[in-house]
Amino acid sequence: MADSTQWQRPLELPADAVTPQTTAQPPHQPAREIPLEQTELTETDPAPEPPPSPRRRGGGHRLLLLLGALLGLAGAAELYRLISWSSAIHPLLGGGFTLLTSLLLLALGLEIRRGLSGSRQLRRVQALRRQAETLLQQASHGDSTPLLRQLEERYRDTALERELRRAIAQLDSSYNDREIIHYLNRHALERADRAAQRCVQRYSVESGVLVALSPWASFDMLLVAWRNLRMIRELATLYGIAPGLLTQGKLLRQILYNLAFAGASEVAMDATSALLGSSLSAGLSARAGQGIGAGLFTARTGLTAIELCRPLPEPGQRKNLLQLIANGIVRRLTGRGGETEAEGNV
Amino acid sequence: MSIAKKLGGLIRQSGLSDWPEQLKQSLERGLEQRVRLAITGLSGSGKTVFISSLAAHLLQSDQGRSLPFFSPAAEGRIIATRDLSATAPNPFPLQRSLAGLRASPPHWPDSTDALTEIRLALRYRRKPGLGRALGEHSTLYLDLIDYPGEWLLDLPLLTLSFEQWCRQQQALFASPPRAQAAADWMASQRQIDWLAPAPEGQRQRLAAHYRSLLQQLREPPYNLSLLQPGRLLMPATLTGSPLLDLFPILQNWPQEPEKADPGSLFTQLQRGYHDYCEQVVRPFYQNHFRHFDRQIVLVDCLKTLNSGEACFNDMQRALTTLLHSFHYGRNSLLRRLFRPRIDRVLFAATKADHVTANQHHNLDLFLGLMVAAAQREIRFEQVDTRCLALSSVRATEAAQARLDGQHLSCLRGRRKDTGEAIALFPGEVPVELPRVEQWNSDRFRFVDFAPRPLPVGPLGPEHHIRLDQALEYLLGDLF
Repeated sequence: MADSTQWQRPLELPADAVTPQTTAQPPHQPAREIPLEQTELTETDPAPEPPPSPRRRGGGHRLLLLLGALLGLAGAAELYRLISWSSAIHPLLGGGFTLLTSLLLLALGLEIRRGLSGSRQLRRVQALRRQAETLLQQASHGDSTPLLRQLEERYRDTALERELRRAIAQLDSSYNDREIIHYLNRHALERADRAAQRCVQRYSVESGVLVALSPWASFDMLLVAWRNLRMIRELATLYGIAPGLLTQGKLLRQILYNLAFAGASEVAMDATSALLGSSLSAGLSARAGQGIGAGLFTARTGLTAIELCRPLPEPGQRKNLLQLIANGIVRRLTGRGGETEAEGNV
Repeated sequence: MSIAKKLGGLIRQSGLSDWPEQLKQSLERGLEQRVRLAITGLSGSGKTVFISSLAAHLLQSDQGRSLPFFSPAAEGRIIATRDLSATAPNPFPLQRSLAGLRASPPHWPDSTDALTEIRLALRYRRKPGLGRALGEHSTLYLDLIDYPGEWLLDLPLLTLSFEQWCRQQQALFASPPRAQAAADWMASQRQIDWLAPAPEGQRQRLAAHYRSLLQQLREPPYNLSLLQPGRLLMPATLTGSPLLDLFPILQNWPQEPEKADPGSLFTQLQRGYHDYCEQVVRPFYQNHFRHFDRQIVLVDCLKTLNSGEACFNDMQRALTTLLHSFHYGRNSLLRRLFRPRIDRVLFAATKADHVTANQHHNLDLFLGLMVAAAQREIRFEQVDTRCLALSSVRATEAAQARLDGQHLSCLRGRRKDTGEAIALFPGEVPVELPRVEQWNSDRFRFVDFAPRPLPVGPLGPEHHIRLDQALEYLLGDLF
């Protein structure tokens, strides 16, 4: 399909050959038999098509760039002065400083490289997800091949590769695009999904309990932030995205953005339903309530992170999980910790 | 003593003696552990193959391979399935029909001539959540019945009197293609005085003639569906019974039927119709066609596309009338215990493997056209419906052909009648009703394929098309 042209050559037609378009009937191929030897069995047919990689450049980007350049220059000048000053004192001291500086620069470069590749991976994953979402809307057939190729390419040499490959190999030739996406959604990321859910559950229960037990209110924010950052890092790794400070920051920004747009009402609804559902009204202290709030916040952050790191749209077990987490926190706080583990092995 | 005996007889007659069993059944139904799935389809729509394939896939669903879209199986929550049909009076010949599909060369099951039942027990683990409070494991009993599709068309007779039925048939036989095919039959009826005493054997002769007429209408080129009474076409155990000497009065409807002679054809037919309804149709309906919970309606759309508009209209009419015989509506808890209604209906276009995969969506839409009226009425009762193209046993392989420099998806399989291997591009399924002149053009040519052999070992998702999605829609919420 790649070599065949995607457009029709212009062609001059005699006037009598043109039929008026009043008969609103779709053009159709006549039915016919085909000699057996002219056919070949359908494999997963190749149709590579590079995706349009959407890039956004905000207005504030230039400002940041300039600021970064200024700071970088200042830092470099300062370092230069430091080295020249120290080598003037003693060459050995100068050598030591030079070594330290170059090591620092190397580490910085590595971190930046990792961050860049992480954010590139994130962008690609999001492009994939957008593509999958469009395919879910339509009942087309055969348009998902480019997406499959990209998926395979994206996850080559990652922990997800084997499962994804197996799921793609098991796809049936009769599936339409929507069914393919549904199938992959269910079967290609099963292990990562399960691990991610467990991770979210663990961190949210932890942060909920920590907040409920911590004696200083001002300490809570720090606790939650610390747990959240670790969780995001772990989730990104699970879904095959290189974790770096840069990636983490970027993810965090998007998560906060998403959470802000999800609306306070939804957050409140989730929280209240979880609270009521866990038959909590029997009187836990205000601190415990705060703990549940923090736990749910962590859970929401985690779920949003999963949503952002997954190459396919989410199957939607969100509500269930939030409920489970709320119950887990309550159990921990009321001292029936054993059951949480049982619930965790979903 | 004799009173006790009499009472015992009465109790046995009224069916009260097995009330513990009945109570147990309705309790199971109330707890949603017992599902009766109505498999509805005219003859040749693939009921037997559907049931065989469904049972075969469900029996090995614990391996979780072959039904990827059926969530309990895909999530590995089904522990095992047991076939309980041996306890039924007429067990479904599952092994025989599977053996036919596995033989070399494989063949489709013979057309069904008796009512058979299959009962499956699925042991599964509940979903994590509130339901687990009832215990981690649970069992779902699934009851299915297989029967000749011809009999199904008798169900609407229960609501009609003999006169209403005759009027209906008169309207049917007044329009082509019945009018042409039945010209002889109409002519022979024209000379009959319905009210006068009838000579011996006249009714039998006429009934035999009518039966051969129905048989003719069922075969190509007519391929009609709405043929009543259905037992005339598939008498099974009633072969030769006087109950089947029945036909509608199409000509000379008597002006004053009350003046009919007791020995006249009119009286005989009227009585015969009543007996037929009460002794043949009603037991069939009462024993097997009430109390369904879910329904799947199998429709062979390709047959209508192959044989033209008259066939399409007739099948549409047949489906719409016969769906009136089922009760639809939402179930409350009490209602589910005592009088369940069908609360979910799937319309399925069978033989989806006989068109190329890119036409499946069109097949869905075409099926939607055919069942639009029925669907509307069912939806009015707030019951979910959906259209889906499926194939219980896949008979073809998808292939690519290169013709005139263009890639063309096509099918490879073996012809059903000759067994010859062919590759076919069967044409596109129209998404709106074709115009009169298009019906018999070369626009589509759907060939009946012989099945590809099923493996003796585990089945895979490549042996069916969307059977798992049908299951998920029909039963997925019960697990």
